[in-house]
Amino acid sequence: MTSSDRRARRQYWAVAILSPLAIFLLWVFVTAQGAVPAIILPSPAAVATSFLDMVQRGYSGVALATHVGASLWRVGVAFLIGAALGVAVGLLRGRIPVIDAIFLVPSEIVRPIPPLGLIPLFILWFGIGELSKILLIFIAVFLIMMVNAQAGARSCAVDSLRAAQSMGAGRWQIFRFVVLPSALPQIMTGLRIAMGTALTILVASELLGGDRGLGFLILDASSFFRTTYVFAGIILIGLIGLISDRGIAYLSRRIVHWEGRR
Amino acid sequence: MSATAKGLALVPEPAGHADGPRASAVRPVLSFEQVGFDYDGRAIMRDVSFAIAPGELVAVLGPSGCGKTTILNMVAGFLKPTAGAALIGGREIAGPGPDRGVVFQAAALFDWMTVADNIAFSLRCAGRPKAEQRQVASEMAALVGLSGVEGLYPYQLSGGMRQRVGLARVLAAKPKVMLMDEPFSALDVQTREVLQEEVLRIKERTGCTILFVTHSIDEAVFLGDRIFLLNDLKEGRFEEFRVDLPAPRANGENRLHPAFIRLREAIYRQMRH
Repeated sequence: MTSSDRRARRQYWAVAILSPLAIFLLWVFVTAQGAVPAIILPSPAAVATSFLDMVQRGYSGVALATHVGASLWRVGVAFLIGAALGVAVGLLRGRIPVIDAIFLVPSEIVRPIPPLGLIPLFILWFGIGELSKILLIFIAVFLIMMVNAQAGARSCAVDSLRAAQSMGAGRWQIFRFVVLPSALPQIMTGLRIAMGTALTILVASELLGGDRGLGFLILDASSFFRTTYVFAGIILIGLIGLISDRGIAYLSRRIVHWEGRR
Repeated sequence: MSATAKGLALVPEPAGHADGPRASAVRPVLSFEQVGFDYDGRAIMRDVSFAIAPGELVAVLGPSGCGKTTILNMVAGFLKPTAGAALIGGREIAGPGPDRGVVFQAAALFDWMTVADNIAFSLRCAGRPKAEQRQVASEMAALVGLSGVEGLYPYQLSGGMRQRVGLARVLAAKPKVMLMDEPFSALDVQTREVLQEEVLRIKERTGCTILFVTHSIDEAVFLGDRIFLLNDLKEGRFEEFRVDLPAPRANGENRLHPAFIRLREAIYRQMRH
């Protein structure tokens, strides 16, 4: 890394940290002026107080860690299974026309349906328990990953496939050593999009009922106009999103080290 | 007339190059028998026949679109002749296989694998033990002048080094025939000439048979034992030139040899013809 690269990097991080700081200061300033009613936009201090209250005493009789844990579990399970199956089906669709044909119409009919539209059906079919919530997130993740993995598999260079064939690679070896790595950049991008969507749908899925989870916390607090708790919950979900996105982005740079360097 | 021309439609070789040992006097390793190829109902080639002897380097020369890559793709097994037969060791070519290694124009290396893993790929596919893979990788790296970079990734190498990896991974599979599809056309002149000499050195050392597709007359003359100049494959016609340059062939001085210059001129006039 040259010194000008290093300077550019420092500048990048300075801006990346100053930008949220500026938003925060604007928030402090606006609420300190008293121009907006606290029930619409509470001050950062009030939100922090509610947050500490939840840390100490929980929310609606359940510890904050339990709310967070319940949400992470739902997102985690749905994300892992959805991503694994979505990648597998997407890669197969990208390389095997028959499999593509099987999934084409069903998946394109389901894809445009907003998850919220599925909630009434899921309540009828699977009840209001964990299964409905996880399935709702799962479907979104699965569809995103399928589309990305398929596009990734399609992007595999003909010469790479031919090179592998002429070095004696069998079908499975071509899939494992050529098609999958070729699709990885797009798969990693898909994971970041899917994680963001999964957290969005988490809140919707916790509309389905139940008494724990960050989505439940936000919705419950909002129906009682406890805006400071709504804000605390939103910020928590936001932080989970930020950390998971940075985590996946970091992994992606490590795993797909060749991307953009060819 | 030579044995190669039997039943074929070869234009006679230019005078002064008709002598020397005939390639097809021995059992050919690679042959085309009245091969035709249609694409979208359009004839790309008709009735093309030739035979290549073990250890021979045949340069296939012609402008883009003349069908030279189609020939290579049929030998590689990527395309099937729509008429006639393409044979390797007397058996019809059924599909791609490790007995015919391909060096691609853009190297087509696996960017996600180290140089060593790229070179040892055919052994990995054949289920050879890890130790053997490592050993062959370093042997082949040494053979093509890549020692010391086995742990790097292709994107960390220059264009010339990438093509050396492309050569090494094909050699590692010990193919009967090496197919080279304009492998040096994207490189700068100096690198290209160094690699051309490398190919000849490797050929001398391994006795490998090579089909080398190129659009450069100089490259064809410098490398080839024989040159097929493709001018009208639709009529099954191509011209054959025998190269008579002093051994060892892996010698840059040969580019200045009177025989080199004469042959280059003869081919140039034919191409312009």
